[in-house]
Amino acid sequence: MDVRWQLSHDSGLQRARSFLILATGLYRASHLTGGLLAVAEHERSRAGAWAILGAAMACSVLAFGRALRDGAFDDRLVWLDVLVSGCLLPFATVDWSPAGMTQGQAAWVLLLGGSASAMAAVSGSGRQACGAVALLMAVHLSWHQLVSTGAAVPTGDLEALVYSAVLARVFWWYLRRQGRMLDAATGRALAAEAEQARYAERLDHHRALHDTVLATLTVIAAGGVDANAAPLRERCARDAAYVRRLIQRGAEPTGCPEIGAALEQAVRSAEQLGLTVTTQYRALPELPTQVAVSLAAAASEALTNVLRHAGTRRALLTATGAADGIRITIADQGVGFDPDRTPPGFGLRRSVQARLHEAGGQAAVDSAPGEGTCVELRWPS
Amino acid sequence: MAELITVAVVDDDRMLLDGMCHWLGQVPELRVTAVAATVTGLLEGAADGSAADPAAVVLLDLVLRDDSSPADNIRRLRAIGSRVLVISTVPDRDRILAALAAGADGYLTKDNDLPTLVAAIRQIAVEGSAHSPELAFACAHDDRPDRPRLAPRELQVLLDYAAGLTLKATARRAGITPNTAKDYLDRVKAKYQRIGRPTYTKTDLACRVREDGLDPGRAPR
Repeated sequence: MDVRWQLSHDSGLQRARSFLILATGLYRASHLTGGLLAVAEHERSRAGAWAILGAAMACSVLAFGRALRDGAFDDRLVWLDVLVSGCLLPFATVDWSPAGMTQGQAAWVLLLGGSASAMAAVSGSGRQACGAVALLMAVHLSWHQLVSTGAAVPTGDLEALVYSAVLARVFWWYLRRQGRMLDAATGRALAAEAEQARYAERLDHHRALHDTVLATLTVIAAGGVDANAAPLRERCARDAAYVRRLIQRGAEPTGCPEIGAALEQAVRSAEQLGLTVTTQYRALPELPTQVAVSLAAAASEALTNVLRHAGTRRALLTATGAADGIRITIADQGVGFDPDRTPPGFGLRRSVQARLHEAGGQAAVDSAPGEGTCVELRWPS
Repeated sequence: MAELITVAVVDDDRMLLDGMCHWLGQVPELRVTAVAATVTGLLEGAADGSAADPAAVVLLDLVLRDDSSPADNIRRLRAIGSRVLVISTVPDRDRILAALAAGADGYLTKDNDLPTLVAAIRQIAVEGSAHSPELAFACAHDDRPDRPRLAPRELQVLLDYAAGLTLKATARRAGITPNTAKDYLDRVKAKYQRIGRPTYTKTDLACRVREDGLDPGRAPR
C-alpha cells in the first residue's frame, strides 16, 4: 500500500510536471529580478513603476504558488498571468503624456510576456497555448505601434514570445514522454516483483510440503515404523492440518496476501509445540508489512497462551477481512479465567500489545472461568 | 447409561471407513450398524435385510466419488428416517450451505476429535440438530444474493460461535442465556433450511455444475 501511494505521487509524469514548473518559475524569476534592478536604478522614485512590479510579482506568486502546491498549473491562473503580466502591464508603462517614455525602462515589462507564453505552453492544451501566444503577439505588436519604437525591436520581442513557448512545449513533450516510459517501466518492474514474491511463496510451500507431508508419507511407506504410534499420528495430524490450510488459503479469491503467510507461520510454530489449530480464513486483505507482522506476533502469543493456560490442546483461529481492515480471533474452549483478577502471563504481553497499538491495531481478551478464552485482534483499531 | 444410538457411515475412502468404525467402536453408547461407499449402497444393504432398521444418524461424506449430488444423498437418507451428519475434509462454503438447505442436521470437518464427533452424533440423535463452528462460519460469511436475512443479534451470536467460542461465552457476550443463544443458532439454521426448499432445483443445479468437473482440483471430500 505504501509503495503504491508513493508511486502515484512520485511518478515519472509528475516529476516531469514539477520540473517544468520549476524551470518556468526560474525563467519568470529572472524577468522579475531584471525588473527589480531596472526600477531600482531608473525609476526609484516613481510609485507607478513599483506598482507595476508589485502586480507582476503578485500574479507570479499566485500562479506558481498554486502550481507548486497542486503539482500542476491551474489554467485559469495561467490565463490571468498572460492577461495581466503579458497584456495589461506593458500598457501601464506607457506614459500617456506627449513626451512619452524611454524604451529602456519598458523593456523589462515586455520580457514578462516571454515567461507568460512559456507557462501557457506547458499548462493547457496545444490550442490554448497557441491562443495565448497569438494574443500576446497581437498585444505586444499594438503596444509597439503605440509607442512606435521602430521595426527592429518588435521582431526581437515577438521572437522571444514564440521561442519561449516553443522551447517550453518541446521540453514538456520530451519530459512527458520520458516520464510515461519511466512509469511503464516501473509498472513492469513492480509486476515482476510481485511475480517473484508469488514464486518465492510457492517455493516456500514446496519446501514445507517436502518437510512435512512428503517426509511423513515416505517414512510410513518405507515400513518399519508403527503407523499407529502416537507421535506419528500427531505428526500426520499436523501435516494434514497444514495441507488443509493451504487449500483454504488457495481457495480464497483474494489470493495469498502477506497476512495469510504470516498467520501460517504463527500457526505452524504453535503446532510444533503440540497445539492443534483449526483455521478459518475469509477474504484476507493486503495489509502493510508492519501491520501483518505485528498481528501475526500477537496471534502467535495468543496461541502459545492457549497451550500454557487453557488446559486444552485445540484452538480455532479465524481471520476475516472487512471494510479495509481485518479481524482475527483466537478462541479456545479451555478452562478460561477471571479477567478482573488476571494472573500475570495471561492475556497478551505488554510489548506485543504495544507493537500492535503502534501499528494502528488493538487487542482484546475475553474470558470467564469455565468458558474458554477468546483473543480478538483488530486492524485498524 | 444413555440409550444406544445406531450409526451408519457413508464414505468412499475405505481406510477412513475402517478407521471411523474402529473409532466409534470405542464409544459404548454408539453402535455402527452399516457402512457403505455410496448412499445407494447403504440403502440397498438396508433393503436386502442385512441391517434391520435405518440407522438413527448417518455420517455422510459431503462429496462422494460416484457423482451423486450431496443434496440428493441427504434427501434420500432423510426420506428413510435417518438424521444426517455431513462430514468433509475441507470446508467448502457453498456445498455446506447447499447440504444444510437439503436437510442436513449437522456439519463437521473430519479433523475434529472423537469427543466432538460423538457429542455431535448424540445431539443430532437426541435433539435432532447439532451446531458446529464450521457450519456457523459458512452461514455467517454467506455472501450469495439470495441468502436469508439475519437479525443483527442472530448474526452476532453466529459470528462469535463461528469463531470457536463456547455457547456460554457466546451468550455472555450477547447478554443472553445460553439457551437463548442456542435458540438463535437454531433459528438461523431453520432459515437456511427454509430457503432451501423453494430454491431446491436452483441449488441442486449449481451443485451439479460444480461437480461436473469445472474445477475438480478444489472438490473436497
